[in-house]
Amino acid sequence: MKRLAAAWRFAWRELLSGELTLLALALLVAVCATSSVAFFADRVRQGLTLHANQLLAADLAIESDAPLPSSLVLSARQAGLQVSGSQTFPSMVTTAGAVALASLRAVPDNYPLRGEMRVRLADGKVRVGAWRPAPGDAWADSRLMARLGIRLGDRLRLGNLSLRLSGELLREPDGALAGYSFMPRLLFNQADVTATGLLGPGARARWRLMVSGQPVAVDAWRRGVEARLPAGARVESVEDARPELRSAMTRARRFLGLTAMLTATLAAAAMMLAVRRFLARQWQPVAVLRCLGLTGTEITGLFATVLLALALIGGGLGSALGYGVQAALAGIAIPDAGETLPPPAVWLIGLGPASALLLLIGLALPPVMALRRVPPSAVLRAEVPPRSVGMGLPPLAILLLIALSLWQMDDWRLAGWLLAGMSGYFLVAGGAAWCLVLGSRRLSRGEGAIGWRFGVAALARRPWLAVLQVVALSTGLMALLTLTVVRTDLLDAWRQSLPPDAPNQFVINLQPDQVQDFNAMFAAARLPMPEIAPIARGRLLAINGRPVQPAQYRDEQAQRLAGREFNLSWRDAPPEANRLVAGQWWSTAAVDEFSLEQEMAQAMGIRLGDLLTFDVAGTQLVGRVTSLRTVAWNSFRLNFFVLAPRAMLASRATSLVAAFYLPPAQRGFADRLVRRFANLTAVDVSDVLDQVREVIDRLAQAVEALFVLTLCAGVLVLWAALGATRDERLADAALMRALGASRRQLRTVVLAELLWLGGFTGLLAGSGAMLLGAFAGWKLLELPLRCNGLLPVLGLLCGMLLVPLAGWPLLRRVVRQTPLSTLQAR
Amino acid sequence: MSDDPKVRVLSATHLARNILFQGETISILHDISLDVYHGDSVAIVGVSGSGKSTLLSLLAGLDLPTSGEVVLFGQPLMSLDEDGRALLRRRQVGFVFQSFQLMSPLTALENVMLPLALAGETNARERATDMLARVGLAHRLRHYPRHLSGGEQQRVALARAFVGGPALLFADEPTGNLDTVSGAQVIELLFELNREQGTALVLVTHDADLAERCGTVYRLAQGRLSAERS
Repeated sequence: MKRLAAAWRFAWRELLSGELTLLALALLVAVCATSSVAFFADRVRQGLTLHANQLLAADLAIESDAPLPSSLVLSARQAGLQVSGSQTFPSMVTTAGAVALASLRAVPDNYPLRGEMRVRLADGKVRVGAWRPAPGDAWADSRLMARLGIRLGDRLRLGNLSLRLSGELLREPDGALAGYSFMPRLLFNQADVTATGLLGPGARARWRLMVSGQPVAVDAWRRGVEARLPAGARVESVEDARPELRSAMTRARRFLGLTAMLTATLAAAAMMLAVRRFLARQWQPVAVLRCLGLTGTEITGLFATVLLALALIGGGLGSALGYGVQAALAGIAIPDAGETLPPPAVWLIGLGPASALLLLIGLALPPVMALRRVPPSAVLRAEVPPRSVGMGLPPLAILLLIALSLWQMDDWRLAGWLLAGMSGYFLVAGGAAWCLVLGSRRLSRGEGAIGWRFGVAALARRPWLAVLQVVALSTGLMALLTLTVVRTDLLDAWRQSLPPDAPNQFVINLQPDQVQDFNAMFAAARLPMPEIAPIARGRLLAINGRPVQPAQYRDEQAQRLAGREFNLSWRDAPPEANRLVAGQWWSTAAVDEFSLEQEMAQAMGIRLGDLLTFDVAGTQLVGRVTSLRTVAWNSFRLNFFVLAPRAMLASRATSLVAAFYLPPAQRGFADRLVRRFANLTAVDVSDVLDQVREVIDRLAQAVEALFVLTLCAGVLVLWAALGATRDERLADAALMRALGASRRQLRTVVLAELLWLGGFTGLLAGSGAMLLGAFAGWKLLELPLRCNGLLPVLGLLCGMLLVPLAGWPLLRRVVRQTPLSTLQAR
Repeated sequence: MSDDPKVRVLSATHLARNILFQGETISILHDISLDVYHGDSVAIVGVSGSGKSTLLSLLAGLDLPTSGEVVLFGQPLMSLDEDGRALLRRRQVGFVFQSFQLMSPLTALENVMLPLALAGETNARERATDMLARVGLAHRLRHYPRHLSGGEQQRVALARAFVGGPALLFADEPTGNLDTVSGAQVIELLFELNREQGTALVLVTHDADLAERCGTVYRLAQGRLSAERS
């Protein structure tokens, strides 16, 4: 007990005397950074799910082509869930003078369970909230109102029932999910369904059961019912139905994971330096303790106790601080975060102390074990013999911490790539630093007055420390460069992946002989020409001669593709928003080749070179897969799973599809098109586009807010890296002053070392940031591979500016101190 | 410990210490034998580089000889591992170093309490306070080493060395870093405590005045030990 008390006193005094300050601070920032990122990422993730659920108008929806069994509704109620349901079916809507086909939807009084309805009522005001039409009322969208030529307050007829048009439907929360309805929409109260007489046997209706409640209860219910859903029913999630939203969420998760990884790496680098410095200074006191009779086990116990206490206290404090920081960040990024974002998961509170412990064990165990071997005779020798410490553990701890932060990406293959990349970077930076040491040795051999050569030589005098310093400094600078320059590039590229003029209107069923007139209307309205693609409906019959059966696939999408017809198109050149990932694009003379979207090919087990047989309008088309493509589904361009050469499909294309952008002021143009060409069907996806854009913007803001914390960690690394050699520099300077060096000479020496170090680490960091940025853009955000060649130069300049700037206090102290004070301190 | 002056506290026989330097064996100490009894004061003198500190390391069990044997309080050091030797030092041995080697984050009082706390002894505070008063530093209890003069730091080190009542005290150039006046004070204290506690002293020194006060003086030259006065 007394020994423990002595150890505590020693640790406490070490902390007070400043010996542990840097380590404690680095630990605090490390934990604060990783845990705040984890807290924040978790909240954003939960928030996104909530947001996604709002797009479902529920927490979970089951869609079916037949009425769902009442046992399902009963089981949901028994599970404590709120239940709502709707029916959607096509039918004619009539008024006194007009008839139009519309998609009708009957909703109950508790619809929507999540999300908001947007409607313009007869008073002209827009209402947003949990609104729905009252019995006897109907709401129609602008397309239906235009087709029928009616206004709010007019009456319309559904089957046997007459309803009053009381609102213009602006947005249904789950409207986008209901299949971008090709038909105009009409919403009415479920209480009126029977009276219409439309929903009899044989009606082509879709039933939708929606539930909401505690996430755990919803999940449990989902697991329970999924296996016993009737045929034709399926659980619908927003990610299944909205590939562009899924893509935005995946990117955001990857981005947050990347930021967390950089922060963790930085903080760990700072800690590694701080631990090294703290324990290096304990060599002599430990030798004294050994003389006083402390055993090796007691020495290990002493430092283990000190570090364990530090890990627990620092981890707890860091975690609490992290919680506060994420709350502040969330507030900055999302104005009403307190209400819209759920609190982070409780178990994440343990992440701080756990990562602190992991870091300290990994980083401090080797030097602590080395302290155990300090010979007591070291107390009699002025020089402390260098001792190698277990070099394997610190990188392992850092990699583990990085892995911990990458886990937030939910993509182990990508995380593995990044982990391998970071390990590779450490190795290359270490190797390059060793070359720098050798180069410094060579450079410093020249003769002359004390000046820059002496400064450069300082690196060669402490080779291993210099290597550690270069790796840590360059990692810090790389992270800063990645987050300042590359981040802006990446976020801009991400935002631009959905440009302001992305197509928001689609027109199907366009005939080849209408194209000229169709385009002429765009020219007359001074609108940019639409993107037009031919379509042929086809069904995949066989792969390498073996018939394709939906039942042979487990993947839901593969089942759908195997079981039904889908759109094929022909092209001479690869579409713009596509990237060839395998094989080669065909020549213009090609007749029997196919190009497949990569994920579809993967899901259906189709490989390059496989022979596919399609049935297109009764004709069997056979060809080999000669290329695989990735498709930017979120580009809102015309994209196809399967493309063929012109010679194969041109004569079989039945119609054309067009995509174009209409500014808000010209939305009426789509109706003019439909009136001019009666066979056309127009689909407006501007709501969907707006929602995706909003999600991207919100996520980009969140990522930018996290950057502040990473910046702090980066600054700490700079401080720790320069502090690592502070004592040695001060001692060198004191000796030089004692030997008669002028202030000017000392300033030159220190500045030369800092400039040389800064330039080199900056160059390394710039090159690393260039590669990391290119990789992040390519693999994380699926952007074209692009290297910013200016980054190494920028890195060099930044390093030469930042490192001397960060080292300025040291420089001042070196120049101002009296040699006696430092020599006495030694 | 017994008060019988004939009790042998330290015995070294045929000690040799070689080191390997760039593939070549260099002999630092050859065939050294000496005995130290309860209450003895032994000085080892010699020029710089003669191996005085190495010999002290071997005698105190801080390092092991290449050949020969050291028996401390009847225990052959070769038969103990490093931790066993540490425990032996904790109970019986005190140290004073040329560079004081005080723990900088601890106050004077806490530095003196340290060996008692490590041995798990009671009344550490009272005993350490008494010992600091004994060396004339009752007014410096809460001062940190950096706020003490060299002479005061060495007196704290003396208090730390004697507070546990060791049977044997090793001192490596205890006055080497002190001016004449401070050095004289420290020498005076060292021998007073030696007499009061009956502690055997083994000193390594350049200081002729200090060697003069010792009962036995050995000279170490070119790695060999010879009795100069006994």
